[in-house]
Amino acid sequence: MDTVALLLTLRLALVTTVILLLLAVPLAYWLAFTGSRAKVFVQAVCALPIVLPPTVLGFYLLVALGPRTAFGRALTHLLGHPLAFSFAGLVVGSVIYSLPFAVQPLAAGFAAVDRSMLDAATTLGSGRWDRMRRVVLPLSRGSLLTASVLSFAHTVGEFGVVLMIGGNLPGATRTLSIALYDQVQDFQYAQANRTALFLLAICLVALMLLYSLRPESRPRSGDLV
Amino acid sequence: MSDASISALAGSPTSGAPNTPWLTVHLEHRFHHNGAGFHLHLAFSAHAQRTVVFGPSGSGKSSLLRAIAGLLKPDVATIEFHGTTVCNTRTIGSRPRIYIPAEKRRVGLVMQNPAVFPHLTASGNVAFALRGKDRSAQKEKIARLLEIVEAESLAARWPRELSGGQLQRIAIARTLAAEPTILLLDEPFAALDAPSRQQISQNLHQWARERGIPVLTVTHNLEEAFTAGDEVLTMEDGRVMAQGTPEKVLVMQRERLLQMLHAVPAPVPEETSLSPENDRAV
Repeated sequence: MDTVALLLTLRLALVTTVILLLLAVPLAYWLAFTGSRAKVFVQAVCALPIVLPPTVLGFYLLVALGPRTAFGRALTHLLGHPLAFSFAGLVVGSVIYSLPFAVQPLAAGFAAVDRSMLDAATTLGSGRWDRMRRVVLPLSRGSLLTASVLSFAHTVGEFGVVLMIGGNLPGATRTLSIALYDQVQDFQYAQANRTALFLLAICLVALMLLYSLRPESRPRSGDLV
Repeated sequence: MSDASISALAGSPTSGAPNTPWLTVHLEHRFHHNGAGFHLHLAFSAHAQRTVVFGPSGSGKSSLLRAIAGLLKPDVATIEFHGTTVCNTRTIGSRPRIYIPAEKRRVGLVMQNPAVFPHLTASGNVAFALRGKDRSAQKEKIARLLEIVEAESLAARWPRELSGGQLQRIAIARTLAAEPTILLLDEPFAALDAPSRQQISQNLHQWARERGIPVLTVTHNLEEAFTAGDEVLTMEDGRVMAQGTPEKVLVMQRERLLQMLHAVPAPVPEETSLSPENDRAV
């Protein structure tokens, strides 16, 4: 097992999940409650990474973050190094690639909150952000959990975007899925099997955790088998 | 209007010129639902501290309250509290457009659906609207408010442990905690048994009277309409049909009220509190 790749993968998944939640909560809140005409466009943009080949996304990010664009040059000047082929670049790519896995469950959870609860909070003097903090988020804990677990598991398993933006630099951008690819290319099937099994276990445990903590997923004593 | 001027209303509920109504409404709004339309079109002023709006189901009473509270943005409206505009959708001469958002109107609204927050205990729900108070002052105030709605023993209970009637009591206490300048009650006692209804209504009106807070109650219960208010408005199909003292409206609308009485179904309590025992259960 490539422990350096393992630690890098876990660090990437954790950082991506935290950043995603910070971005996705306000975005999903806006999507859940807005009457704006721009909603359909924003929804479609947020869902694009689900249907787009990861290599397409990776290619455009590579171009955007590289020296060919003013944005890429400004970033390089600001950070002192190019964002592409660095851990920070991987984080940017992962956040964009996993965005729908955070935004969609959150938006669905927020939209499912009983409107009469929001009306009651409003007439009690709660403004938009106060309602989000004191009513919507506590009533959407299940959706927050789903968004966190899916974002984490999806980042652990990503390959195409990571390869395009990060390349394959041991210790910097070589994640477990890239290490697995290398092992297969080198015919090290025993090692590849261990890496693949580990990736499978991480995703399985994450999903089991998700289902065990969501009350509606737990078996009830009266349920027919 | 600024937050400060809204707040100022709290201390002087009868501010404005003498005989200024505490509520003036000119309202027009069209609802479109599945191809069918409903037109809310009314104008009235309320002077009496206890005013009742009576009308059959679907006459637009709840929508009227939602517009006054700021939860429904009307197509065209002018709404004034004690002579101060909180909503003006039209510019006439130098009058600017005004729309005070619901969270800044300081209107207490008790709805048919109590909408008690399920993630907070009963006392947590009442505390929701209490701000800037230390914990002991909060505890004292919560206890006093729960006493008004005869729910002292429910303070530590979770909403899932309460019956429909008990939830409604918590919703009323929570509304009073926000110290509203105007109180709107939308069939607030429908889920309560008769003795509790009478007692809590009495406590609530006394609380409002002591603070000079005007109360607008909406009901489709004829008996409640003509006993709970000093001024009655009857509504039908989104319009005000009559307004005056209960006696005057009874005389003016006698025939029509009798027709409505036969047409209006009896108020249906919430499923969880179909019987008085249920209200006290758990």
